[in-house]
Amino acid sequence: MEKGCRGDFEGVQNGMKAIVLFFEVHQPRRLRVYRMKEIGHSRNYFWDERNSEILQRISRRCYVPTLATFIENEIKASVSVSGTFMEQAQEYAPESIDSFKSYFRSGLSEVVAETYYHSLASVWNEQEFIEQVEQQVNTLKKEFGVEPKSFRNTELIYSDDIAGIVRSMGFKRMLAEGTDSIIKGNSPNHVYNSTSGTALFLRNYRLSDDISFRFSNWNWSEYPLTADKYAKWINDTPGDVANLFMDFETFGEHQVAETGIFEFIRALPHEFKRRGIDMLTLEEADKRFERRSTVSVPEITSWADTRRDLSPWLGNDMQREAFNELIKTDKKNQIWRNLQTSDHLYYMSTGTSQDITVHEYFNPFKSPYYAFLSFMNVLQDLMRQ
Amino acid sequence: MKVAVIGWELPPAFSGGLGIHTFNLFGEMSKLIDIDVYIPRIGPLYDHYPFNVRTVELGVGVRNGAYESLTYDFYEAINRYNRAFEETNTVNGASIVHCHDWITFQAGIELKERFNIPLVVTVHSTETDRSGGFYPQKWIMDIEREGMKEADRVIAVSHYTKKIIIDTYGIRPDKISVIHNGVGKHFLELPSRDYYPTGKVLYFGRITTQKGPAFFIESASKVIDLLPKVKFVIAGTGELLNRMKEAAKSALPRGSYEFTGFIDLNKAITLYRNSDVFVLPAVSEPFGITVLEAMSSGTPTIISRTTGVGESLKNVLKAEFWDTDLIAEYIAGTVRYGGLRATLGSNGMSEAKQFTWKRAAEETLKVYRMV
Repeated sequence: MEKGCRGDFEGVQNGMKAIVLFFEVHQPRRLRVYRMKEIGHSRNYFWDERNSEILQRISRRCYVPTLATFIENEIKASVSVSGTFMEQAQEYAPESIDSFKSYFRSGLSEVVAETYYHSLASVWNEQEFIEQVEQQVNTLKKEFGVEPKSFRNTELIYSDDIAGIVRSMGFKRMLAEGTDSIIKGNSPNHVYNSTSGTALFLRNYRLSDDISFRFSNWNWSEYPLTADKYAKWINDTPGDVANLFMDFETFGEHQVAETGIFEFIRALPHEFKRRGIDMLTLEEADKRFERRSTVSVPEITSWADTRRDLSPWLGNDMQREAFNELIKTDKKNQIWRNLQTSDHLYYMSTGTSQDITVHEYFNPFKSPYYAFLSFMNVLQDLMRQ
Repeated sequence: MKVAVIGWELPPAFSGGLGIHTFNLFGEMSKLIDIDVYIPRIGPLYDHYPFNVRTVELGVGVRNGAYESLTYDFYEAINRYNRAFEETNTVNGASIVHCHDWITFQAGIELKERFNIPLVVTVHSTETDRSGGFYPQKWIMDIEREGMKEADRVIAVSHYTKKIIIDTYGIRPDKISVIHNGVGKHFLELPSRDYYPTGKVLYFGRITTQKGPAFFIESASKVIDLLPKVKFVIAGTGELLNRMKEAAKSALPRGSYEFTGFIDLNKAITLYRNSDVFVLPAVSEPFGITVLEAMSSGTPTIISRTTGVGESLKNVLKAEFWDTDLIAEYIAGTVRYGGLRATLGSNGMSEAKQFTWKRAAEETLKVYRMV
C-alpha cells in the first residue's frame, strides 16, 4: 500500500521535481423535500433557497479568496467546473464566476472538461455521455473562451471503455484514481498511456488526502502539516510528478480558513521553488515527461469512498432502484439531466461506517432514506409529464 | 459482589416488558456476579432461572398483576409487597440493592437504610410517560421522585428518559447513567427476510394513549388517500382498544384494517416479518423494545421522535408523533418503493442486533462499581 507513494526517507536521488494540482469545482442542484402527495400537483423540485445559500457561502469562504490566493502567489492548477456549478454561480454568486475568469486568463491554469451535469452517464449510455460532454465543452468555450483537451470524468470514474469514448471525442489527457490495485505495478508518480492512447494521470491519493482530509486532523501523527514538510515529502519521493487531485472546496470550506489552509497554500510556491519543484498544468506535464507504459483499467474505478468503485452511488437497493427509475424516465430535458447529477445518488449511500460520515457531511437531507424519498417522488412526477 | 434485585414479575407469568427485562438482564448479570431476584408470589414460575429467585408472600390474591394493567388489586399488592421488606431481617449477603420503577422503590429505600447498602434504581418509564402527559398521578410521581433522590445511582433506559428525570423530577444529572435495553435472543437469531410487497402496515403494542394508536389511524387514513390498497394491522390490546376500533371504523374503508387482539411472541415475529413497515407513533416512550424487535426482524420501522431508543438509531424513519402527514409519507414511501424497504430493513436489522443484553449487563456492572 505504501509503495510508490510518499517516501519517508532522506536522500532520494531521483525525487519528484514536479507536481500537477487538479481541482474539481462542482455544486449539484439540490432537491427540496418533495412529498408523495405533491406528485401531479407541483413541479417545484429544487431547493433554491438552500442552493443559493450554499453557493453564496462557498463563494465567500472558498472560491473568491482561494482564486485570489492562487493568482497572487502564482499557483498553477488544472481545474474543472461543472455546468451545474456554473449555472448556479451565475444565478446566486456571480462574483465567483468573475474570479474563475480572472484565474483562467492569468496563464496559470488549464481548464479541464467533464459532463455538464457531473453525472454517471458514462456508465450507462454512451450517447447521453457524449451529449453532456459536448454541452460542457460548448459552455466552457462560451464562458471562458477555452477549448479543453484534458478530461476528468465525474468523481474520477474511469475504465478503459470510458477512456475509449473520451479519446474518440478528441481529448488528449485523462485523469484516474491511483487505486491500490493499479499502483501495485505502476507508481502513480509518472505519466502513463491509457489503452485508448490518451495520456493518463493517476491520482496520488496519499499525498492528495494529506491536504484534503488530514490537514486539520489533530490526531494525525504529522499534524500540523507545513508547506516545508509537504514539499520535502514530494522531493523525497521517487518519480516524475506528484498528481494532487482534490475538491476545490478543500480550501476554505472543507478545511476552513481557521485551520491555516490559506497560509499553507501561500507558503507552498516558495517551498517548491527552493527544492526545484515545478508546478505544472496537465498539458505541460504531458509534454515534459515521457509516458511510462500503458495502464489498463478494465473495471470501473473512482476516487470515492474506501472501495474506489461505483458503490458510493449504486451500492444499495435504494440507489439501484432510483438509478433504474431515472434511466427509465428518459426525458432528455434539463430537469431530467439535473436529476442525473451523481450527488443525488451519493446522498442515498448507506456504505461503510468510515465512509458514511463523509456522505452525511454532504447530504442536505441528513439521512439517505429521506434523500431517496424526495428523489423518487420527483421522478414519479417527472415521468407523468 | 452480590446484588439484591427487587423485581415484580418474571416469565412465564405476564407478557410485560419489566419481567422480560429482569429475566434477560439478570440472566446475563448472573454470569458476572451473584444475583438474588425478589418477586411477589403471584403468577406461575419456571423450575429454574439463571439467578436465585426469592419469592415474597403477599397473603392476598391478585387477579391481574401485570405492571402494565393497573387495577385496585395491583395497588394493594404493591403496598403489601413493599411492606413485606420492612419485616425482612436479612438481605442474604447482598452489598447493593437494585430496584426497577416506582413499584419497588419503597422497598429499596427501606433496605438501603436498614442494611446500610447503596441503592441503584432503574427507571424504565415514568408516570409522565405512562399518562401520555394527561393527568399523571401525583402520589406515584412522589414515590418516583423519592426513590430517585434516595438512590446512589439512577439508570435511565435512554437519554430521552434521563432528560425527563432531570427536568420533571429534579434529579442531579451526574448521578444518572444511560443504559439501553437489549433485544431478546429469539430476535438476534432471525435470518434475513425478503422484501416482496405485502401491502401491510403494522401497529403492535399496547393500545394506550402513551403508544399513540390514534396517530397511527390518522396516518393510515392519509396513506389510503395516496395508496388505496394498503392494509393496516393493529395488534395488541389495551384500554383504548374499543375507542380505536371506533376511530378506525369512521376513518378507514371497511376491509382496509384489522384488529388482531393479544399477540404472543411467535405470532409477533410472523407479523413483523410479513409487514412492509412497522410504525410506533408513541407520545412518550422511554425506550421502545418493539422498535428493536421489528428492526431485528428485518422490517422497516417508523418511530416518533419521542421514542427513546430512536436517539441512537440511524436506520429508522423519524417524525413527531403528531405529524401524521409525515408519518403517512414514510408509510407510503416504504410500501411503494421496494428499494427503500430492502435498504432500510436490512441495515436496520444489523443495527438493532448491536443491542445485546450482554452489553447492557456489562454497563450495569460498571454502575455497580461506582457505588
